[in-house]
Amino acid sequence: MEPIVGRYLTLQVDGQTHRIFFEEAGEGVPLLCLHTAGADSRQYRHLLNDSAVTRRYRVVAFDMPYHGRSNPPDGWWLRKYRLTTDDYVKLIRAVWTALDLTRPVVLGCSMGGAIVLKLAAEYQHQLRGVIGLESSAYAPGRYNEYLHHPAIHGGELAASYTYGLCAPMSPEASARENWWYYSQSGPGVYAGDVHFYSMDWDGRTDVGRIDTSACKVSLLTGIYDYSCTPGMTREVARAIPGSRLVIMPGIGHFPMIENYPVFREFLLPELDFMLA
Amino acid sequence: MVAFSEPWLRRFQARVNADPEMQVIGDWFTTAFSLTCGDARCIVRFERGKLVETIASPRLDVRCAFGFRANEEIWTRFFAKNPEPLYHDFFAMLMRVPGFVLEGDTLAAMQHARALHRAMNVMRAVD
Repeated sequence: MEPIVGRYLTLQVDGQTHRIFFEEAGEGVPLLCLHTAGADSRQYRHLLNDSAVTRRYRVVAFDMPYHGRSNPPDGWWLRKYRLTTDDYVKLIRAVWTALDLTRPVVLGCSMGGAIVLKLAAEYQHQLRGVIGLESSAYAPGRYNEYLHHPAIHGGELAASYTYGLCAPMSPEASARENWWYYSQSGPGVYAGDVHFYSMDWDGRTDVGRIDTSACKVSLLTGIYDYSCTPGMTREVARAIPGSRLVIMPGIGHFPMIENYPVFREFLLPELDFMLA
Repeated sequence: MVAFSEPWLRRFQARVNADPEMQVIGDWFTTAFSLTCGDARCIVRFERGKLVETIASPRLDVRCAFGFRANEEIWTRFFAKNPEPLYHDFFAMLMRVPGFVLEGDTLAAMQHARALHRAMNVMRAVD
């Protein structure tokens, strides 16, 4: 039996009701984990099962609305799903508040790695720190209309399109597991997330406002990531004095799921740093 | 470069037709695409996941839906045993390597994304 417990909570954000699925394990400082575009909290299953983490951290991972086991809000059939920076921040804040997470560390990957920079800029005095995996302040180029197209199997395209973001040396079963998660998102959900990541998101001004004496910042990027390249994360690190930067050899865009045993060797020192 | 020569195409054909994954996912993989390296061009034609025909130096009456084009240096990096970042996957190259081009009917290519991705990855394992 795994120690992970899954539950639902109901939130109000901008007058809309969201039924959100989250899972958690461990005790200690809250560690709120944000999944990648078109995926869900299952990407954090190894982290949630790692006693070296959960003996010091209360690890919480939730599914964004439309993702995994979190429903889209009422009336979803009348709106095209397009995630925005503003909506994303509000939703994370609502989860953070509803679960009473005091001075959490927020860890996010890809689009989650982008939004942690915005959280660090806006809420630095209410955070212990942020850990950005594959973090960029500006990431154009991932969006295309084929991601939601009636003549294309969206699940197979999203999964295949993201499969090569894993490092070639990552264990095949792990990369395939992520492929499977990607194949399961609803029509247009991955495209709607990429709309945020590649078109709406621009944190280049925000990152200059982050004070690492108030909110610690660790940035970890896989060397095989071609969506958020090491160079893109280096630019973020340069803009945030006091931030820590790790470029991870043998890792791609999905460190927590594509190769957790290698990733944790890079992550654990950053989790120590957050507690220091 | 050895890739795309007639002996190489035969080895690719044997390899991809023996691929157990393609046998699972290839039922709808019926298409032809070109592979171009500098001035050299070939066409591979799949039917229901089987590579049924390889045509080195095709005439103009040999049709194909789409193709990949790059120079020898780019293909060599793609075929490296331990490919460097950005050259380790054709989607990576489409995004980050300007000289690697998907030409023709890109919709057809993306309709076959899963099997096409597999075929291109099997291709890298050809000696």
